Amino acid sequence: MKRRQLLTALAGAGTLAGASRRRPALSSALVDCGCAPQIVTATDKPPGAAAFRDVGSKLRITNMQVFGVTLDERIAQADRPYVFVKLETNRGVVGWGEATLEGKAGAAMACVLDLKDLLIGSDPMQVEHLYQLMYLGSFYRGGPVLGSAISGIDQALWDIRGKVLNMPVYEMLGGPIDARGVRGYYHASAWTLAEARELRDKTKAAGVTALKFQLPDLLEWVETNAKIKRAVQHMEMLREGLGPDLDFAVDFHARPSPAVAATILREIEPLHLLFAEEICPPENPKAMARAVRHSTTPIATGERLIGSYGYADLIDMGVVDILQPDIAHVGGVTALWKVSAAAEASGIRMAPHACEGPIGGIASLHVDAAGPNFLAQEICGFVDAGEKGRVWEDLMGFPAMRMVDGRYTLPSKPGLGVDINEAALKRYPFQGTRPFVTAFHEDGAVASL
Amino acid sequence: MRTNRRVLPGAGVAVFGPPAVTDHPLKIAQLRAWRVKEPDSNRRYTIVCLKSQGGASGYGEGGPATSTEIAEARLAVAGRLATDSEFIRAALHRLPALEAAVGNAMLDLVSRAKNIPIYQYLGGPVRHKARILAYLEGRTAAEAALSLERAQRQGFRAFTLTVPQRDAMIPLQAYVDLVRKHVADMQSKAGPSSEWVLDGDAAMTPGDAAAVAVALERIHPIWFDEPTAVVTQDGLAKIVEESVMPIGLGRRFTDIVGFQGLLASGSLHIVRPGLGLNSLTKIKRIAAIAETHYVAIAPFHDGGPIGAMAGIHLNASVLNAYAQQIPVPSSARAAAMRAEITSGLKEAGNEGFAALLNRPGLGFDVNEKALDAYSEERI
Repeated sequence: MKRRQLLTALAGAGTLAGASRRRPALSSALVDCGCAPQIVTATDKPPGAAAFRDVGSKLRITNMQVFGVTLDERIAQADRPYVFVKLETNRGVVGWGEATLEGKAGAAMACVLDLKDLLIGSDPMQVEHLYQLMYLGSFYRGGPVLGSAISGIDQALWDIRGKVLNMPVYEMLGGPIDARGVRGYYHASAWTLAEARELRDKTKAAGVTALKFQLPDLLEWVETNAKIKRAVQHMEMLREGLGPDLDFAVDFHARPSPAVAATILREIEPLHLLFAEEICPPENPKAMARAVRHSTTPIATGERLIGSYGYADLIDMGVVDILQPDIAHVGGVTALWKVSAAAEASGIRMAPHACEGPIGGIASLHVDAAGPNFLAQEICGFVDAGEKGRVWEDLMGFPAMRMVDGRYTLPSKPGLGVDINEAALKRYPFQGTRPFVTAFHEDGAVASL
Repeated sequence: MRTNRRVLPGAGVAVFGPPAVTDHPLKIAQLRAWRVKEPDSNRRYTIVCLKSQGGASGYGEGGPATSTEIAEARLAVAGRLATDSEFIRAALHRLPALEAAVGNAMLDLVSRAKNIPIYQYLGGPVRHKARILAYLEGRTAAEAALSLERAQRQGFRAFTLTVPQRDAMIPLQAYVDLVRKHVADMQSKAGPSSEWVLDGDAAMTPGDAAAVAVALERIHPIWFDEPTAVVTQDGLAKIVEESVMPIGLGRRFTDIVGFQGLLASGSLHIVRPGLGLNSLTKIKRIAAIAETHYVAIAPFHDGGPIGAMAGIHLNASVLNAYAQQIPVPSSARAAAMRAEITSGLKEAGNEGFAALLNRPGLGFDVNEKALDAYSEERI
């Protein structure tokens, strides 16, 4: 009997006696739950898969592994060991994805494994169905831990799809819009005019067209003239040093309150930033709307939001100009594409966040390349790749996420276009979870970093 | 609340296209088209066939188009890969019927080349069968009887019911009673297991539509489709604030922005992009927006069988897709012609659901001889 027919039959029965007759089929953990009749098919392994026997592919997921990868803290931030997910299939095709979650590596790895029973034995070509199975099927929707776990698995599923169909993921999404690649920006810092000028020369020599900086101070809910002036003067110094041609964005990192943000935004308009990012905390779009309504500086936000649902208010209210989902948290390729599609209809551009490892960064490029509303791709790296660039090359076999003429070139291999060197992973063994860096104001109160 | 933030210029339009390729198995080498006219029903639609350099073919259907528009589409696809769907979506956005036909033909071509069904290419099946909704012909119970009988024989259990238009001399209460009687007559003909969508055909004022919706909401039609042509937020508010009957809208929309606005204002409950005016690629984007508003999509279709079957593939691959509307002609000649085009009757189901065709592309062979026979023009 097909699942829907079974559910229809159950709904038709609708009596306690009917439920009692079916009790042997129920999972023992659910017999005292009022929703027990609806979950009879929990005995199906993996859940729901039998219904697709005649309409799916013959490919099956046979194994899932999760790898924690810790880099020396002098190379990469200690709070974010990379969490890589590997899916294996009965045809030998494997897929890779990234579920890195800052400050919660252990939780993300455990959550990936929690989802294993939903995946082993299932058809990896059903990427939308498996996304929904993990998202809706988890009952408690969203949150960064589940979001990151789904993200890693979803990327691996798309990797498998692409390899099976012998196509890069961006082609399956209808791209590339621009075959030259996707525009990117690096992180940067400069504290003096001389440093800013030196950075300008180095950036231009590397062919890079955009950079992103941080504010100079932590900010409280109400701020003093001194700190506001320092923030504004810092950005004025950057514009003077970088010159008029180099684009730069400033990440407020949700440090200001909406009121403080509005004041700063008003004064930096003449600097024509590429965008101002997370100008206040992200949970309350109405509060953000109050802060941005007098500013013409493009406003970006969204790296901490999960699932396409998390962006609906921002899009509907027209609060921001640019959305920044992180493919390692939002729900992988599937969710990032959905956010991009919704943003496009409202004239909102995409500049996806990526401040974790190389798989997520590369996966993001695929969605970027297929989005007509794409603006720029972030990566946590500097103009000078440094030691982290060497480690990524060790892991991936090529200098991953390095721009050429201001763009990340698109992978030409099928799937995500990455092959992880598993022997190299062993050189960076998981050292456990490290908490996200915390910061405090002068009076000891916790600050938004 | 919508703020006065400005819309970034250029967003939503592909400003740079991938370069045309010179040699690739998926390079589009040929576009042929048929301007088809159905006998008796007089439905018109456009069928496009794309052929790739590697020899794969793909078929897609859109609404009626002129030969000039088809020639324009031919120029747009020249040298493009069949995977360049985002480029084509932008390039043909002023020719919605051809955006649909060419976009769907590209999906069929790539899926056939990769030896998978379209629903697999679109992200894999999220359901193993697709709910189908018969679009009946006729405005009265007597007129719709032939169409209803055929639909029931073909396994449909859900039907659209076009409500009578209001004569200016009929008082509102008498009109509401007339609609109620019409629904009752059809229900009695179709039997107790039938489900109904009321089709207003955009012919009512918002006030009349609200009165009908309030009067009939307790008989639970699946939804009230296109109740009015006044698709402004204020016009629709009259209906959605007075009644709990779900409202379906959008059969004439050709851009995603129109749906986005109505979804944001909470003015519609079932998104109904027309398959003749929107490619599956475009509708998938609309579905992604609707999903965040917990709203289902049910593509409208008043075209031919190739479009209808493409809609089944979309339904199979999108979680918030509820049903695919399929026209069921009252004329035997029109019904035979539809079956002939798809090399046998495909627009059918069992207990209200169509089976998914687990074969490459659309899942059936398109009969070009039939297309030739029923074409007003072949281009």
